[in-house]
Amino acid sequence: MQFTDVGGVTKAVLGGRLDSLSVGEVETRFIANIVPKEQPAVIDLSQVSFIASLGIRMLLGTARALGRHGSKLALFGATGPVMEIIETTAITDIIPVVSSEAEALALVTA
Amino acid sequence: MARDLDLVRGDRLHCLELIDWVDGARRHIVGPLGLKIGRTPPADVVLADSEVSRSHCLVALDGDDLVVSDLGSTNGTYVDGVRIEGMVPLPIGSILQIGKRSFQHECRTRAEVTESDELDRELQKASAYIHALLPPPSHDGPIRCDWILVPCARLGGDAFGYGHLGDDLFVTYLIDVAGHGVGAAMLAVAVMSQLRQRTLPDTDMRSPAAVLATINRLYQMEEQADLYFTMWYGVYDARSRQLRYAAAGHHATFLVPPDRSRTIAAGNRNVIIGAMPGATFQEETVDVPTGSSMYVFSDGVFEIIDKGGRQWSIADFERLILEPQIDGMDETQRLFHSVRDAAAPGPLDDDFSLVVAQFD
Repeated sequence: MQFTDVGGVTKAVLGGRLDSLSVGEVETRFIANIVPKEQPAVIDLSQVSFIASLGIRMLLGTARALGRHGSKLALFGATGPVMEIIETTAITDIIPVVSSEAEALALVTA
Repeated sequence: MARDLDLVRGDRLHCLELIDWVDGARRHIVGPLGLKIGRTPPADVVLADSEVSRSHCLVALDGDDLVVSDLGSTNGTYVDGVRIEGMVPLPIGSILQIGKRSFQHECRTRAEVTESDELDRELQKASAYIHALLPPPSHDGPIRCDWILVPCARLGGDAFGYGHLGDDLFVTYLIDVAGHGVGAAMLAVAVMSQLRQRTLPDTDMRSPAAVLATINRLYQMEEQADLYFTMWYGVYDARSRQLRYAAAGHHATFLVPPDRSRTIAAGNRNVIIGAMPGATFQEETVDVPTGSSMYVFSDGVFEIIDKGGRQWSIADFERLILEPQIDGMDETQRLFHSVRDAAAPGPLDDDFSLVVAQFD
């Protein structure tokens, strides 16, 4: 899990399996590195091979917390199996999911 | 006390704890004489499993550590997925697989064992309560149903139900709360109870879209400890032979005609329950061929890693559904054992819930 600042936008890179166990291990650090900054954020999912329901909940919780500060969150780079889960849950109705980092940055800073 | 100290690393006891524990003894303490595991007495741990040999393996203390030896079993003894030969270490946290059953090696103090046993008893009562709320299997009549629910933790976040809404209408639903454990189970039970009693306010229970909309209004995440859930709800009309359904963040249910040549997906795209106040939900309708079976399930049924390390998708489970049925074996058992056999050793990552309905 890596965090960088891209011109006032927090960029987080997640990797591996976001299953129940790993979400329990990373969730606090993930949220603590994004939400308190009160600035828009983009999440790179290109290296995530699987996302369980608790992973979806972590992303939703982050988006809602940022939203309370008037900041946006966007996801990008989701691969086939992860995109399939995202599509099934229809969280794209709540969090924008795009293919590239540039699209995600443009969305959250618009 | 002195005897206790003989058994342990420091003041800790070596325990073998059954994964996928349903009832009976969950935890077995390895004493100075070791534990013999087999299918019949005089084994110390008796596993009623045809894949377990009468005298299968021996787990013993070796100084402060545990070791395991296969006793010439037919199907082998596995440690963390690797078949053992001779005597090998059984490290703390490792998984010992014998037949269809798996144990985890844990080290616990006597106080922890006592406390954990008490907690297990309480959780077993809670689990029994949840099972008591589930509908009984029905093997007679024009619609026959069976189900299996195997939580990955002592309490799961899945719940389901089915029953008649009138002379011709038959409703089936399944709820899958994100995560598992006590919190998820309590939410699942709350929703299930409302659906069982049909106490949703101002809601036409025959309309899947209306039911999901009401449930979404009643169970928003911020009022439910940040828990959301997915749900599938379907109403079968025996007169028109149509299934009216809606899925909220949930994958499709499959219908399988009697020639079992294909599946018919009954799924559509709606947002998960609890994440979007005021969300609207769409429903769809599908014709149900005479003699079809219907498979309603949670994602824990297919979101496994197989023995080859591959992450499964729903397509893998769909393939399993279409495999030949087994005479004398219920479909829910066939599919559970197929998934369990395909999965890597250790507990399943998520609750396994499956309802199979058979229509005339």
